Amino acid sequence: MESLLITQAINAVYEILILAVLVLGLAVVMGLLNVLNIAHGEFVMLGAYCAYLVQKAGFPYLAAVPAAAIACGAIGLVVERFLIRPLRYDPFETLLATWGLGLLLRKLVEFGFGRGFRSVDIPVSGSISVFGEAYPIYRIVLMVISAAVLVLLFVWYARAPTGARIRAMVGNPVLAEAVGIKTRQLARNTFAAGTAWAGVAGVMIAPLTPVEPFMGLTLIVNSFFAVVVGGMGTVTGLFAGAGIIGGLQSVLSAAVSPNTAYLAMLLLSILFLWQRPRGLFPRS
Amino acid sequence: MLTSIKTSRRDLLRAAGVGALAIGAPAIIRPAAAADTLKIGVLVADSGPAALFGPAQRAAAELGAATVNAKGGILGRQVEIVFADAGVPPAEVAKSAVKLMLSDKVEMIFGSHDSAVRQGVENVVKSKIPYVYTPVFEGDDCSPNVYFLGEVPEQELQKTLPKLLEFTKDKTFYLVGDDYVWARTTNEKAKKYIAQIGGSVVAEDYYPFGAPNRFESTVTRIKSMKPAIVLQTLVGGDNVNFNRTFADFNLSDDIVRLSCLLEENTLMGIGKDASKNLYSSLGYFADIDAPQNKAFIGELNKKYGDKAPQQCTISKGLYDAFVFSAAVTAKSQSLAAKEFAAAAEGISFDTPSGPMTMKNRHTIKNIFLSRCDGTKFTVVDTFTAVPTQQACT
Repeated sequence: MESLLITQAINAVYEILILAVLVLGLAVVMGLLNVLNIAHGEFVMLGAYCAYLVQKAGFPYLAAVPAAAIACGAIGLVVERFLIRPLRYDPFETLLATWGLGLLLRKLVEFGFGRGFRSVDIPVSGSISVFGEAYPIYRIVLMVISAAVLVLLFVWYARAPTGARIRAMVGNPVLAEAVGIKTRQLARNTFAAGTAWAGVAGVMIAPLTPVEPFMGLTLIVNSFFAVVVGGMGTVTGLFAGAGIIGGLQSVLSAAVSPNTAYLAMLLLSILFLWQRPRGLFPRS
Repeated sequence: MLTSIKTSRRDLLRAAGVGALAIGAPAIIRPAAAADTLKIGVLVADSGPAALFGPAQRAAAELGAATVNAKGGILGRQVEIVFADAGVPPAEVAKSAVKLMLSDKVEMIFGSHDSAVRQGVENVVKSKIPYVYTPVFEGDDCSPNVYFLGEVPEQELQKTLPKLLEFTKDKTFYLVGDDYVWARTTNEKAKKYIAQIGGSVVAEDYYPFGAPNRFESTVTRIKSMKPAIVLQTLVGGDNVNFNRTFADFNLSDDIVRLSCLLEENTLMGIGKDASKNLYSSLGYFADIDAPQNKAFIGELNKKYGDKAPQQCTISKGLYDAFVFSAAVTAKSQSLAAKEFAAAAEGISFDTPSGPMTMKNRHTIKNIFLSRCDGTKFTVVDTFTAVPTQQACT
């Protein structure tokens, strides 16, 4: 019984961290630029296909990380220049535009690879003992990387000059421009960083799920819920959203049933959209 | 905007009225112009979650039509396929079925899609023309003038479960499935067979269908309960996800898995590292070593070359539908409901998976128990002429 509890507890932490990694790019773009990138899941999907191609070509799995970041970042730059910027970062227009972009990316990948499932081999297989319980080593590696990335981001955003410039741009774009911050460049880079990170997240989760053109659609559902609950534009909101949605899902699924967990998550999201649409920790 | 909707609705009603008259009218006053070719509506997954089967379904159906046509067609008429998308919501597919009947004037409908869509189509076809439903499904449907070629749970389990015990340490079962009618019904029927062989069910988990599911919690429970067999009624991406998670948690050495819907495409997703001690029970595998199957796959390879879409039980059933209809009409000399039903009862026909015999509008057929070796299936046992236990009249 005790061993069951320990493993289920690790499962909950794992779920929260994976969700945080998936939400990250979405939350950055949404929170800082007010652009809800509906195609976020498709960038995760593209990252997963990068992982598939890199593995198939016989390169070490780590090579997929820069490959996906560059590919998805580059597409992000193009999308920013020809889709997001012409629409003046308008929340509603970009929402529609990125929805269409998602369709296009899915169809392009379907055209290139077909609808069939691809499988990416686990790069590090085997188990490791955690508190006396054997746990798949790749998941532990993912948890460590995710936690490290989130902490680094937190520190960087609070300390680094670029973080300060982004905060200035978000707080008062006109004044930021006036003091010499190149807001246009900054916004472009922020958007591309979001899509690049989505690609890296795709590399991370590719060995765990079926890789197919439509994978982004289901993967991204929980991320939207996490953003709704946590609130947009703050790192605290990101942690809170991923923690509540991922934790709730994992704990209820283990303690009651997967159906109850899903229902509870939907109800919670509806409740938030209705009563507290800006989430728990919105940008003030 | 509003007027155009009104007009179209009125037009649709008018068309529906005229069409209903035409279909309801005796064959003798129907226009004879359509008699040159016999049109068959074929419902395939061009979109939606099952769209990965779409190309294979189209290929199987086209080969079925070509095969039947080469032998003189159906009722002496060449067969022509009219495809429609079955991957959209049931109400939309039902509309397509109405259009197939009224404007395309199809005289039969074949379909490979889920049960919700089938019920939608049954509601509009209203047994006016023969409707042949081909994929794996849960059984217990006796709608008139509908013929079922797919595997029912009774066929997948009755012979397979006792055989599977040869590979397991005991008779404890853990059931995991997607939360919808096929999985629930299959598991209810499975419990009956598990009781018959003296086994027990230790737990049962259902996951919301189409939701972003993760399976760590179930796999962790399985790890602590140590059942001998995990019986799965998960489909598509959930099937892949569960089995990969299961193998990651290092359970595949000790626990045998049997999936009730694991075909070639899904196994590709599960991958070679996660398929140890995983079994599948179905009425067809693309690699089965039978001359009929060699001919079937050979024809497809000849036509499509290395672009031939991967066949599986879901797609191959549409080929069977053509063979079945040709056999029945050769005997009935008519597509009228009564004659067709009388001729269908007891008819035998040969398919890529071996001979099938229709009884009570379901098909007695071979069932294969396969073990996954990497991303290929190896047949470990073939059960011939497995009865369906269905009682439609």
